[in-house]
Amino acid sequence: MSTERCQRGEAVALPRRALLSRVGGGFGLLALGDLLGRSATAAALPGLPHHPPRARRVIFLYMPGGPSHVDLLDPKPRLAVDAGKPLPFEKPRLERTRTGNLLPSPWRFARHGQSGIEVSELLPGLAGQIDRVCVIRSMVADNINHTGAALQLCTGEQAFSRPSVGSWLTYGLGTENESLPGFVVVCPKPVFQGAQLWSSSFLPSAHQGTLIRDPDAPIADLGDPSADRGRQRARLEALARLNELHRRDRPAHPDLEARIASFETAFRMQAEAPEAFDLAAETAATHRLYGTDDEATRLFGRQCLLARRLVERGVRFVQLFSAPVNNFWDQHGNLQRDLPGRCRAVDRPIAALLADLAARGLLDDTLVVWGGEFGRTPTAEGTDGREHHPFGFTMWMAGGGVRGGTVHGATDEFGWHAVEKRVHLHDLHATMLHLMGIDHERLTYRHGGRDYRLTDVHGQVVTEVLA
Amino acid sequence: MARPGVRSRLLPRALVAWGTLSATCPWLPAASPTDALDSFERHVRPVLVERCWRCHAGDAAEGGLRLDSRAALLAGGASGPALVPGDPAASAIIRAVRHGEAPRMPPDGRLPAGEVAALEAWVAAGAVMPEGPLGGDASVAPPRPWAPTPTQQRWWAFQPIADPAPPEVATSWPQDDLDRFVWAGLAAQGLGPAPEADRSVWLRRVTFDLTGLPPTPAEIDAFLADDSAAAWATVVDRLLATPAHGERFARHWLDVVRYADYHDGDPAARNAVCEPLEAWRYRDWVVKAFQEDLPFDRFITHQICGDLLQAPDGGAVHPDGLVATTFLVNGAWDRGDADKEKLVSDMVDDQIDTVGKAFLGLTLGCARCHDHKFDPVSQADYYGLAGIFYSTRMLAELGTKGGEITLQRRPLVAPAVAERIERQRALVTHLEATLAALDRGGAPAADPERLALESERDALLAAAPAEPPRALAVSEGGVPGGLFPGIQDVPIHVRGSYAKLGPTVPRRMPVFLAGADQPPIGTGSGRRELAAWLTAPTNPLTPRVIVNRVWQWHFGRGLVPTASNFGLLSEPPTHPALLDWLASRFVADGWSLEKLHRRIVLSATYRQSGRATAAARAVDPDNRLLGRYDARRLEAEALRDAMLAVAGTLDRTAGGPAVAAMTVPRRSLYVQTARWDRATFATLFDAANPDAVVERRDVSTVAPQALFLLNNPFMEGVAGALAARLARDVPDGSSDATPRRIEHTWRLLFGRMPRPEEIALAGELVAAGGDDGWHDLAHVLLTANEFAHVD
Repeated sequence: MSTERCQRGEAVALPRRALLSRVGGGFGLLALGDLLGRSATAAALPGLPHHPPRARRVIFLYMPGGPSHVDLLDPKPRLAVDAGKPLPFEKPRLERTRTGNLLPSPWRFARHGQSGIEVSELLPGLAGQIDRVCVIRSMVADNINHTGAALQLCTGEQAFSRPSVGSWLTYGLGTENESLPGFVVVCPKPVFQGAQLWSSSFLPSAHQGTLIRDPDAPIADLGDPSADRGRQRARLEALARLNELHRRDRPAHPDLEARIASFETAFRMQAEAPEAFDLAAETAATHRLYGTDDEATRLFGRQCLLARRLVERGVRFVQLFSAPVNNFWDQHGNLQRDLPGRCRAVDRPIAALLADLAARGLLDDTLVVWGGEFGRTPTAEGTDGREHHPFGFTMWMAGGGVRGGTVHGATDEFGWHAVEKRVHLHDLHATMLHLMGIDHERLTYRHGGRDYRLTDVHGQVVTEVLA
Repeated sequence: MARPGVRSRLLPRALVAWGTLSATCPWLPAASPTDALDSFERHVRPVLVERCWRCHAGDAAEGGLRLDSRAALLAGGASGPALVPGDPAASAIIRAVRHGEAPRMPPDGRLPAGEVAALEAWVAAGAVMPEGPLGGDASVAPPRPWAPTPTQQRWWAFQPIADPAPPEVATSWPQDDLDRFVWAGLAAQGLGPAPEADRSVWLRRVTFDLTGLPPTPAEIDAFLADDSAAAWATVVDRLLATPAHGERFARHWLDVVRYADYHDGDPAARNAVCEPLEAWRYRDWVVKAFQEDLPFDRFITHQICGDLLQAPDGGAVHPDGLVATTFLVNGAWDRGDADKEKLVSDMVDDQIDTVGKAFLGLTLGCARCHDHKFDPVSQADYYGLAGIFYSTRMLAELGTKGGEITLQRRPLVAPAVAERIERQRALVTHLEATLAALDRGGAPAADPERLALESERDALLAAAPAEPPRALAVSEGGVPGGLFPGIQDVPIHVRGSYAKLGPTVPRRMPVFLAGADQPPIGTGSGRRELAAWLTAPTNPLTPRVIVNRVWQWHFGRGLVPTASNFGLLSEPPTHPALLDWLASRFVADGWSLEKLHRRIVLSATYRQSGRATAAARAVDPDNRLLGRYDARRLEAEALRDAMLAVAGTLDRTAGGPAVAAMTVPRRSLYVQTARWDRATFATLFDAANPDAVVERRDVSTVAPQALFLLNNPFMEGVAGALAARLARDVPDGSSDATPRRIEHTWRLLFGRMPRPEEIALAGELVAAGGDDGWHDLAHVLLTANEFAHVD
């Protein structure tokens, strides 16, 4: 683990020119990099955090497609009572999205933990951790299509390109480990709208999420770790001397210095990043805990284990996509056949992640967020499916600063509308920023003549979920 | 002059305050009855219409309670008066929306806090509202009065373009009249221009600037040897005539129009019906248009309504016109998996947004859900434009729920030719079916009938292409099967939603900008009229916006720094008179971009070096006065193209479908941009985001860029090719081969001779590397700051 995790950005004011002019005299590049401290992306913006943070990093477990709240975390006995009857009030007018009558959940719910929160039998692992979890049953969003809804979940905006949550966080707070990207996305298969979901948009592109498709081949261009670095080091020293000759005639050009520093950082990343991604360094017991030894849970287990290793090393925002295929959680039909398998793929890894973070003392300041871009209709699509449903659905949060073992908000007795303590996605974003020490109304970026923020002109911190 | 930065420090705070205000307390007690009515219209009526009227309006109102007129509100229902002006606690409507006690309204959940606050504040301030019924039909919001504010009316960008005389200046410095404006601006601050750049620096600058490629040693020699006064103009004319020039500025334009070659980066995974597979024809048309200096007004007209233009040869089909309209349909939309109507409204929105930003420098898209918060564009204006695009067909088929849209493709050959090709294709299909039947019947390979059929098929296949060439092109009339399938005016979408329609607005241009007395749009969609208005000599925005973009492409920053926003939130021009003077010349020069390029790059302003005095840097740290030329990072495409060019491996093949792999040594313009795949070289080095109109690229500096340059196999390949080229150009054998080869290397990569310490350093590296010495040097130099920057 990096020993430099907490040394951030202090030494920039050293007499760089004096140091660089001695490079030719045998100053090693590594030593040079350490002496000169960190580049601009490492540091937090002035004035940030706005208040003491409760969480220092986030793991966002994103279930693309829209998991069914009424089958997983929001039990609705009334659906069984009124099975096959029409919804007794008017459904929103949607031209092409029509569903039939009420469809009860085929699965049983039971109370778990001290808190007695009801969880579906499809999620036994999560049920075992439920006292760490704040279940928000009153989520609402604005878009009924996957792409617009996913965009809103990840960026706050449904149609236009905007910076994603992770980009805002690394932009505002910097990174705690400059040898690793501050915002990592693990998305095994392409999903609709893809890169827009982790785009930095108009924020500096350094804050774009670094995409990892395959946890076994994480970061591009780290070079051959077995190669002799001596030759590369000789090249880099020559480069530093040439760049210094070039820079000497061009004072007041910070861009040149930044680019020199980026090569220093890259050289360090080559050495340190592979270790961060090396899951083989984990014990067999840990692998068993995450289920990487079981074909059903192997993929998401590796994603969760990697997430833990990354936050442990100071990565600010890790976003995992549960996406062995696109729209893994989109059960328009075959609900009974498919949903149990989807749950199985993620349940044990997620339970392991929560338990492991807690055991290592990381859960106290790591925020874990789970959810999809919307839920699913309590009414049937066909005979065995459910339609997209942004009007009331469930997400959960755990860890840093969140009140575990609680339920926040409620949908109506059919699971259709969020009726109590509605939490809009903008409110969720405001709350996530708040936990990270950021006032969502004060983290802004000027672009195209306007100041933008993650929550646009919306969002209220949901104080009741705060511990 | 105001101190730079003052505005940008103050304005954001004001805006944030505005944002905060509108989120928590959108309604404030108003100063005058007119303002109070305006506040009602903005903040209260939408809540009543959207949240209440579904049940509480008209004769069939729930519980007999109507909320659609002042009288009805005062009369109330079973729980007493719905409204008691000045007393929120006594007003049933307020009690209900607070959700504290039954009846809680709306029943399906509490309103957003801002809406509750708006209602409370409105009642508390006396509940000012229009007399009489508010709207009758519960689903319809009546039109709202809209008028521009005095600030909007006075805003510089909406004033006619002036034609100021260049200032008289007592100096021989100017090369072009534009320099007089710059000189005057500097002199007013007691400053002067920077010294002229070395000729080799200027040559490297202008060559990258006009072509995206470095000058060759031969070109350097020719320019340095030309001591005529016309030497600079000779270079510029040569560069403007190269095909590389069209490619360079096409890339600039593609940034503006959110161009992508594909959605999916994986060729095997692409869905042929909804992927913009023919977008490359548009890219090639843009290259050609810039190369041939198509007048910019016609360039715009082609893109808006090229399908309606008369073909230059009088033929039935105008291929360039059709191809140019790909501009309208190559956007990043939601796929509409569950809701195709929403998709169509998003496509229309994308078109309005792109046209507004690209040509007018206006964020018209902001008026989709409400009147524009800052600029003089009403929501009705937006739907006047939306009617034009709703009346334009961009999809062949809307598709079914869960399925894909089918983009419209139109043949680029005359209908008769297309028909002939189709017939031949049908015949081939028929022949193949017959052959298959023979197979099933067990006919031997040498069966005479089979041989005859086969030769007939082969002749047909040889004679004609399998399909006529097609373009992604629009046509008149809306999307069949959609809400607006023909040519029609459309209703205002309340809060931007097609599911809540208000009154219909005639198709027209924005009233403030185009006047209230526009002739009605007749039988067509209105795209002809739109193009005519955009390119009218009296339009104050279009010429200013493009002139400013071109300035930005040459200097890194526009005279207006917010190149796609000239509205009230833009940064005002640093040189307003110069901007207008350039815009006037541009129109007078027949909207010629080449003449504009020539004027700018031959100016003394452009010829300055980056060397500025300490005083100049102190007075003008951001170089807003243009008293020096600021060095610039090469864009992703120019960096890659320059590497391939100096390595001698750049394949200059032009046009055609994009290639998938960045290792194919074509110009970067021809390497695919895929919307869903941003893990590319181009993205890593700050290429434009193809999801949005990009007014200016980022310049980021991150370690993964350095990792690419250090370790990616592409770099090994280029360095190897460069080393091999150096050995070819300056072979071993003579005693001075090493220093001569180093000199050649510097001229090739940096456009100048090396200094003694550089020769020594390079020599050391080469010697230390043994057999790989030149490869090492090549790799190092390709990653050097000097290679990646232009002075």
